[in-house]
Amino acid sequence: MKTIEEINEKIRQGDAVIVRADEMPELFEDDPKRTVREVDIVTTGTFGAMCSSGVFLNFGHSDPPIMMHRVWLNDVEAYTGIAAVDAYLGATQLNEDRGFEYGGGHVIEDLVSGKEINLRATSYGTDCYPRKKVETILTMDELNQAIMFNPRSCCQKYNAAINPTDTILHTYMGTLLPKRRNINFSGTGEISPLINDPEFETIGVGTKIFLCGAQGLIVGEGTQHSPKTGFSTIATKGDLKEMSPEFLSGATIPGYGVSLFVGIGIPIPILNEKIAEKTAIRNKDIKTEILDYGTPSREKPVIKEVTYEELFSGEVYIDDKKVRTSPLSSLKVSFEIMDRLKKWIQEGKFFLSNKIQALPKDTEFKSMNLKKLVPKIGEIMTKKVITANLEDSIEDVSSLLVKKEIDQIPIVNEENKLVGIVTSWDITKAIARHKKKLKEIMTKDVITSREDEYIDVVTRKLDKFKIGSTPVVDNENKLIGIITVTDIIRRGVRK
Amino acid sequence: MLKIPSDVVDSPILASTVLKTGILVNILRAKVDYDEGTIIISILGNEREQKKVVNALIKGGIEVIKLKKNITNDVDKCIDCGACIALCPTNAISFTEDWSIKVEGDKCIRCGACVEACPLRSLSIQEI
Repeated sequence: MKTIEEINEKIRQGDAVIVRADEMPELFEDDPKRTVREVDIVTTGTFGAMCSSGVFLNFGHSDPPIMMHRVWLNDVEAYTGIAAVDAYLGATQLNEDRGFEYGGGHVIEDLVSGKEINLRATSYGTDCYPRKKVETILTMDELNQAIMFNPRSCCQKYNAAINPTDTILHTYMGTLLPKRRNINFSGTGEISPLINDPEFETIGVGTKIFLCGAQGLIVGEGTQHSPKTGFSTIATKGDLKEMSPEFLSGATIPGYGVSLFVGIGIPIPILNEKIAEKTAIRNKDIKTEILDYGTPSREKPVIKEVTYEELFSGEVYIDDKKVRTSPLSSLKVSFEIMDRLKKWIQEGKFFLSNKIQALPKDTEFKSMNLKKLVPKIGEIMTKKVITANLEDSIEDVSSLLVKKEIDQIPIVNEENKLVGIVTSWDITKAIARHKKKLKEIMTKDVITSREDEYIDVVTRKLDKFKIGSTPVVDNENKLIGIITVTDIIRRGVRK
Repeated sequence: MLKIPSDVVDSPILASTVLKTGILVNILRAKVDYDEGTIIISILGNEREQKKVVNALIKGGIEVIKLKKNITNDVDKCIDCGACIALCPTNAISFTEDWSIKVEGDKCIRCGACVEACPLRSLSIQEI
């Protein structure tokens, strides 16, 4: 048994023995007793996109002063529902013109890099704060405070993502190629901080950590903290003014949004054998699930259970097919973080702290309980669908479109199974190109929907594929209805 | 890169070059309109064979420009996360021993999947 005070005394003497989390498994397996006796601290690290991150900023007062009602930094809006010249800039907030290419995360990186930032604020004017507008250029040095406060950091582990659908997907888990062509995963596995102390024996409120190159603190459990299911998180805080751009990067998640890569290192004091054993975990012992990200609902089907060892190997077999994997966290920078933290301790610049409060061990991440029933597509679709057969002529179909005042006709076979769709635009093209057969002009690869899909999901589909309607089919591809953009707009207007 | 001027855009020069020389080419990118065209090919052969193809193309009235760089990575911006790796269809991007990103330009077929997906915008392909 060791205490943190004893370890800190060793740091003071320059005698503390520090190893990296990746070195611990071998040491521990070789000689557990000796390892517990001799190793004082294990450093852990991660460098990944952590969306629930941001900074509290205080700008100081202008003259005449303004009560900032809305504020933008490089055209990225910060939250101002706090005091007059305080704001919280979130990592995922988008620039109003540049969209996904520049956002809160990038502003934070630019601040840390010492770049000039354009500040713009508006207000309604009060007796004490008469000013209604202010615009200036500032750098981080001119701010009174710039405090990073991250409501959620360091998730213990993540699910991996794959896309079984026919189209490319842009998700928070990165770009997913169609037909299971790649797997993206996140987290650093055996060196990840919370993986090394899953029971929070040493990690707790008040634990000093490495945060983006500065000495930061764990200030509590993170949002969505779910130790019961193995997805624990922490909330972290640190002084942005002491941080380094090496360990903090604004990032674009293509087609999804922006984020911030946050570098975190947590020292784990080896106080007893139980703690040592936990830090000896290997990638092959850490399991996660590859989920079907083609399913746009909360419950995503599990495609396969894998270990981080398999994920880091670069390829995973799915149904006898080799699928390549991409990590989304940087192992290289994570190793640099562990080394840097080790160096700080060796040089007597960083001391360990006792936790002042434990993190909850029994909570679970709950889903939103929707009190208002959300309708599914089956409830609003047109069930009496006007259809045509492959044998019908283009003239028949075009007169049907006119007669029924519709823009598209699903084409079905004798069993009512969907074989294609023809739109009025297809007819126009048929006339222009002198085509005669329905087969030549219809779309065969029809974007279909199921009756249990939510309206938002179908709307997204119509928007993404730039189509005006989607036939609704059952499990046997039999046509049971159709939903058009007009149906959805009308429903929106009525509400 | 082949620049095809308007007077030859309607003749099958690339195909006839392959037939004539017996040397295969791989078409990586192609944009051919009624008045002009740009095609990027890689010639599958040794230096002498490559020269043979290039000469035949020039003879056919096509301007041939050798592209020096395919994919390049700005190491100052790159954080070595690896988001690009599994997207590359030709394994032109990989990790080194120390988990740094390595890009091999000669394997790149200029599809641009990695450029689009890079969170740090550190990857680029020389413009045509």
